Amino acid sequence: MAAEWGESRGGAGFAPPLPNTSPSGERKFVRSGGLERRARATYLAMLAPALVLLLASLYPFLTGLYTGLTNKKLYLPDSEFIGLGNFQTLAATPLFWTALTNTLVYTALAVLIQIPLGMAIALLLDIPSRLQSFLRTALVLPLLIPPVVAGLMWKTMMQPQSGILNWLLAQVGLPPQLWLTDPATAMISVVLIDSWLFTPLATIILLAGLQSVPDDAIEAARIDGATAWPVFRDIRLPWLVPHIVLVALFRIADSLKAMEIIYATTRGGPLDATRTLHIMAYEEAYRWSNLGTAMAIVFVLWLICYLVSGTLLGLWQRQERSAYA
Amino acid sequence: MGSRYVPRTPNRFAPWQRLVHLVLAMAIASVAAVGVVAPSRAQMDWQQRSGSTINLLLISHPFVDALKPLLPEFTELTGIEVIYEELAEQPGFEKLLADLSSQTGTYDLFMTSPLNNWQYATAGWLEPLDAYLEDEALTDLEAYDLDDFAPGILASGRWTREPMQGVGEGPLWALPINFETYQLAYRPSIMKQLGLEVPETYAELLEIAPNLATEGPNGPIYGLITRFDKYWDLPYLTFGTMLQSYGVEMIDADGSLQICSPESIAATTDFLNLIHTASPEGAAAFTWDQAMQGFASGQYVMSFNEANLFAPVYEDPSQSAIADDVGYAPTPLGPDGERKAGAWVWSMSLNANSQDKEAAWLFLQWLTSKETMIKTHLDGNMNPVRQSAWEDPQVAALVENWGETPGQYREVAEEMAEVAAVRFPPHPELTRMLDRWAEAIQQSYFDNGNVEENLCAAQADIERMLGS
Repeated sequence: MAAEWGESRGGAGFAPPLPNTSPSGERKFVRSGGLERRARATYLAMLAPALVLLLASLYPFLTGLYTGLTNKKLYLPDSEFIGLGNFQTLAATPLFWTALTNTLVYTALAVLIQIPLGMAIALLLDIPSRLQSFLRTALVLPLLIPPVVAGLMWKTMMQPQSGILNWLLAQVGLPPQLWLTDPATAMISVVLIDSWLFTPLATIILLAGLQSVPDDAIEAARIDGATAWPVFRDIRLPWLVPHIVLVALFRIADSLKAMEIIYATTRGGPLDATRTLHIMAYEEAYRWSNLGTAMAIVFVLWLICYLVSGTLLGLWQRQERSAYA
Repeated sequence: MGSRYVPRTPNRFAPWQRLVHLVLAMAIASVAAVGVVAPSRAQMDWQQRSGSTINLLLISHPFVDALKPLLPEFTELTGIEVIYEELAEQPGFEKLLADLSSQTGTYDLFMTSPLNNWQYATAGWLEPLDAYLEDEALTDLEAYDLDDFAPGILASGRWTREPMQGVGEGPLWALPINFETYQLAYRPSIMKQLGLEVPETYAELLEIAPNLATEGPNGPIYGLITRFDKYWDLPYLTFGTMLQSYGVEMIDADGSLQICSPESIAATTDFLNLIHTASPEGAAAFTWDQAMQGFASGQYVMSFNEANLFAPVYEDPSQSAIADDVGYAPTPLGPDGERKAGAWVWSMSLNANSQDKEAAWLFLQWLTSKETMIKTHLDGNMNPVRQSAWEDPQVAALVENWGETPGQYREVAEEMAEVAAVRFPPHPELTRMLDRWAEAIQQSYFDNGNVEENLCAAQADIERMLGS
């Protein structure tokens, strides 16, 4: 190509040398030269801000980890290093295991509701209609509401005596529920609020996936006489697996850390029904001043999030690679 | 005829010197005159910190509603700008703990109480106030009149910082804003309609509990409402009043815990019985503001052992549906004919890490002064902590109309004030211990039984907390 270029210009050498090519047009590695030096300089220039960011996130993490190994109380200046003492105490505390179970149950319920529901809504939104753009906007609105505000709103609606939900249930002949005020129903009520807020996220991602399914595969299947369900099951669903894994990744990572909705509604109650690890840590720190215990709980939560996210991320990357193979 | 020449005494001073003497004489005379007219003019200047800004953390309360309209007056008096943050109680105390422990002095002043201050003072987060009271440049002590405060209430803000003792002595960590104890509030019309008398003992209350319900214009009217959150105020204040009337104090004279004693179990069993019988489902989640608003909305016949300082809300037609139909009675007598009650003193403290302590002190002085306090009382802040406030004709007239009969509120308040006291040991983690106690009571409500097991487990945990 370089030779042609040079030739069209009369071959007098007016052609600028292409990077990494010799005058005869072969690619060769340039050991030193303008580009390499510029690249190195760029990386060096980014090094300083990167180090700052690293230290800014690593320092609190390591400090928190160290605090989890002490018996630090907020109102006392000194603390002792007690090694794994906090973890041993937690392992012997029934409330810790309750909180751990609640965290996992919350996450499982949230994902099991939000992915199928998000998929169903995405399928409906995929149907062309005149209301399509209006519905897409309307159904995404809950995502814009801050979780604490949504929590307060739903708490009012779920009030057993004066809330509107029980009134609506009565209108259709169903018995009133205790929603957030009874240990048996509090967890599912909080998960419902979470689902109302975050199903639109699943919907958006899955809708984008649905719209990227290649039309020719569907057309071919249609010509062969396939109805809607086999088309969905054998063509669209497999195509959507990476998207589903992505939604699962987001929602699991968020649900494990769930805090705002629970704090705004039940604050861990009634009777620890909605006490997750994050809520338990917050209470230990800012209600009872046990910073050491709180940090130990937060470390356990971090470990769970890290392992789960790591696994899912690996799964997603494998899916992506196989999709584009 | 003719003027007699009288030789003048020769004046040794030159004319200019005579002028100076004249001016000096006038000056001395005028100072003396001022001294007579205004004998002890305070040297305190309200404007000395003009241009500063102070930050307050306020816990949502009728007091705060009364304070907010008065803040511009303070700014006009002193030139100090006031910025405040208002939060509900539980999140408010958590936010406060987070801020105080970071020691950045974000809030110069904050609402607190002796109970919370036992932790904050231990940590060194509070500024002792005695030095400010005694500083003439900062405080007009005569106008302020420290002796006007009810002695016991003011003393509750003092503590030597020794665990388990020393309340009422030592540095002053806070100034009181209002004082509360507990009472029964009831709907006279409904009680008459049901043919019931206001109960005098807990046994009588339990007897009439099943009949305490009726239909109202907006749906059912339930028997009684009281706070029942898993929070330390349950065994410390409202249910605490019932416990103490059953003869239960957290730690007895010998230093042993009484949480699991037979009397405590009896009181807890009776309390849960009452709630199961006369309160709706979901009652085990009511915070104090829900208890206040629930009664004010007219959905309950009785408010049980709740704060008497809710009365201004009940009596205000713009805030309650029952303004013309509410009566007050003392809390019931216990099985031995005893009546004791808890006490709560909302106070304000100064942050030891505040960036502008003088400006903050000026606010605190202004807030707790006679004039400002009376203004807040007239706008719903109860109960007064200053003797002069009770005697103020406007406050007396306001309170006179509260209750079923004239003067009923004041009568009941005075009766309860005689038996109200803080019967708990000072300890930086008392709230945690009381939270644990409240948890045991809640567990018993939901388990529907085994009060003894739950209370004894709580006592064992609290024993460990005391020991550490």
